[in-house]
Amino acid sequence: MISLKGVRFHYKNAGEEVLKGIDLQIEKGEVVFLMGPSGAGKSTLCATLNGLIPHLIRGNFQGEVEVAGKKTREVPVKEFAPHVGLVFQDFEAQLFCTTVELEAAFGPENLGLDREELKLRVQESLDSVRMGRFRKRQPANLSGGEKQRLALASVLAMRPGALVLDEPTTDLDPLGKSELLQALRTLREKQGMTLLMVEHETEEALSADRVLLMDQGKLVAQGSPLEVLRDGKALAELGVRPLEMMELSSRLKVPATWTTPEEAHQGIQSMGLGISKEAYVKLQERDRDRKYGEVVLEVSKVSYGYEKGTPALKDVCLKVRRGEFLAVVGQNGSGKTTLMKHLNGLLKPQSGVVLVNGRDIRKEKPSQLSRKVGLVFQNPDHQIFAERVWDEAAFGPGLQGLSPKEVGERVEQALQAVGLLEAKDEDPFVLTKGSRQRLAVASVLATQPEVIVLDEPTTGLDYRELASMMELIKGLNDAGHTILMVTHSMPLVAAHAQRTVVMKEGRILKDGPTREVFSDPASLKEAFLTLPPVVSLSQRLGFTALTVDELVGCLNREIPNPKSQI
Amino acid sequence: MELYLYQDKNTFFHRLDPRTKIWAMLVSFALLLLFQDPRFELAGLLVILVYGALAGSLGNLKKIWLLLLLIGLLSFLGWAVMARGTTPLFWHITRESLLYGLGTAIKIDAMIVAGIVFLSATRNEEVALGLIRLGLPYPAAFAFSMALRLVPTFVGAGFTAIEAQRSRGLDLDEGNVIQRAQKHIPLLAPIFLNTIRSTNQLAMALEGRGFGARKKRTYYLQIGFKAGDAVLFVLSLALLGLAVWLRIKGWGLIPGLKM
Repeated sequence: MISLKGVRFHYKNAGEEVLKGIDLQIEKGEVVFLMGPSGAGKSTLCATLNGLIPHLIRGNFQGEVEVAGKKTREVPVKEFAPHVGLVFQDFEAQLFCTTVELEAAFGPENLGLDREELKLRVQESLDSVRMGRFRKRQPANLSGGEKQRLALASVLAMRPGALVLDEPTTDLDPLGKSELLQALRTLREKQGMTLLMVEHETEEALSADRVLLMDQGKLVAQGSPLEVLRDGKALAELGVRPLEMMELSSRLKVPATWTTPEEAHQGIQSMGLGISKEAYVKLQERDRDRKYGEVVLEVSKVSYGYEKGTPALKDVCLKVRRGEFLAVVGQNGSGKTTLMKHLNGLLKPQSGVVLVNGRDIRKEKPSQLSRKVGLVFQNPDHQIFAERVWDEAAFGPGLQGLSPKEVGERVEQALQAVGLLEAKDEDPFVLTKGSRQRLAVASVLATQPEVIVLDEPTTGLDYRELASMMELIKGLNDAGHTILMVTHSMPLVAAHAQRTVVMKEGRILKDGPTREVFSDPASLKEAFLTLPPVVSLSQRLGFTALTVDELVGCLNREIPNPKSQI
Repeated sequence: MELYLYQDKNTFFHRLDPRTKIWAMLVSFALLLLFQDPRFELAGLLVILVYGALAGSLGNLKKIWLLLLLIGLLSFLGWAVMARGTTPLFWHITRESLLYGLGTAIKIDAMIVAGIVFLSATRNEEVALGLIRLGLPYPAAFAFSMALRLVPTFVGAGFTAIEAQRSRGLDLDEGNVIQRAQKHIPLLAPIFLNTIRSTNQLAMALEGRGFGARKKRTYYLQIGFKAGDAVLFVLSLALLGLAVWLRIKGWGLIPGLKM
């Protein structure tokens, strides 16, 4: 179906070759995951598959790409539409119609299909990504995750023989993710669709027929998921998150490699390992003993709606104390970002009050508020405007009326904290996505706010970038900043947040210490969230561990058991 | 924040064929352009307001009232000074030039209102389809509807940039007009860069979805003339006929105005 021979590509006017000789064969109906660090050349590889390279993207292209028996060099991009559908990473730029159904119809219309067939394609493609009820909505007003699903539907509507997806789940909530993957599996079964998918989520890659690892423009490993994903260390070095269950089996030094909580559960039982009550009590005590300062943020009975009749927030109450590390989770469109925008006065509550340090934020000026609550936006590219990294970070403190010397100190501190001090003279737009995200944090940090609110700070980052971002955030929390983080990544919440707020349809569904919230899978499920594998394993064992470390620490290896010899 | 003008309603006016709506807009323009007298311009405006109200589109005027006021004021003052009349009042201003300024101000604002009403009740895709059925080639009609579509995208990018910078303490409401205008300059960089990036992506997405792949393209939207279109057509033709007749009879001009 897809065949690449000796493919090399060098972007016009750019440093190094991005693809350095790729050879790859993908069979019809095969599901292939492509993984690797940022900058490995994954997106570039995708762009060669429907001829965007060499037809629309300039550069030096060598080798040969053949899709459905046609050579990309010889056939224009538009001719490939019925054969291979490409969904880009930047899904917002792919939507240009005024309703969801017209968006889905656009491709089939270009293919000249008759009206009955158009109707069928629209219905079928929207239903397959659970967007059927949004038919008449405007794509521009959908939430990030909804837009992402629509971008996929708009390509599916052409029923391409092969689908190439460049990080299709970055903005989806956990349930949305698994639904989307399920939809793709169904398509493969029903239509024999071939699938190539760039993905950072290792757990999802287990369902693939083949996993490719890419680094610095080359394919460095390929094989079945078990073969390729087994070596956790090598994965981590390549910027790919190791599987929790594999990490666990190697920590426990078992000869078998576990991939799912079910396998791990059986394995642990047959080894006769028990849970150390003492160790678990210690964990719970550690949770209880956490001390926080006074209330810094108080949201009481806040309601807000963008349009009449559809409230985005309903009677939300939330108190945050100094020094807390709080995660806000929930489905796409559940009101998380709307709530965050109330915390620094970008939105004014239509009813209710928001107090920062006991003062109504409606009475504060933006320059005063920015010292109290800093908000880091989801997409760094919407906020970065300076031509130098240093100037970008100096914008906020400059507005606070500080002396140039003070501004300089603040900027230096902030850039130091995010590890960008050496890049201070660079143009932000040449930085990687991870570095731009860090710069966005630095520019907020430089205003020295007590409370830092981060809206999905790890979207689109690879594992290395993600780990360093979380280390940065944790460091800020240790240094006394109160942290509120909106995220879809449940493993991140489990590993880092002391408290978790679950939102659903504009309300707070659950609010408490993370362990307590994660001990209630029913309400998480109600909010369309799923437990990380290690948490779900620990619950099978009768307690709630949040990380592999905690789980290993609570397993009682003292009791000798004859069955443990496998 | 609602950035699109189009309002999804099910009114008599919304249900019309886009070609009829284009026709209605053109007739409205003609009613305004035929005359000079502010009373006649006012009558034209009234017609537009009536069908605008029927379409439930007048709410959108709230978004641009300042623009309408400024444009109206500028054309009133400009023409009051520049036009020449026979009855001097003071300085360069004559009774006729004053009337002409007033008439022109109403004329331009009313034309904008007619445009707003049209866009509030017609989807971009319907505009495009209407233009195609009127004989425009598809790529041209598509480019036109894409231009309409991109305006709110840019405005949206601007709002996000403003929010991000307000979060860092930028107070856009402080200072005099010039200071406030200066504060908007940093917003231009992210808007500009995002625009270039997204236009580039858009071109790729269009190709990727088979834009222009087949000679004959089909349409999901269905348009066609119905009874309502006929009613509007007859009414507008009668109105246009009346206006032309009045104009031929010499009504609606400003006597003594020297252009």
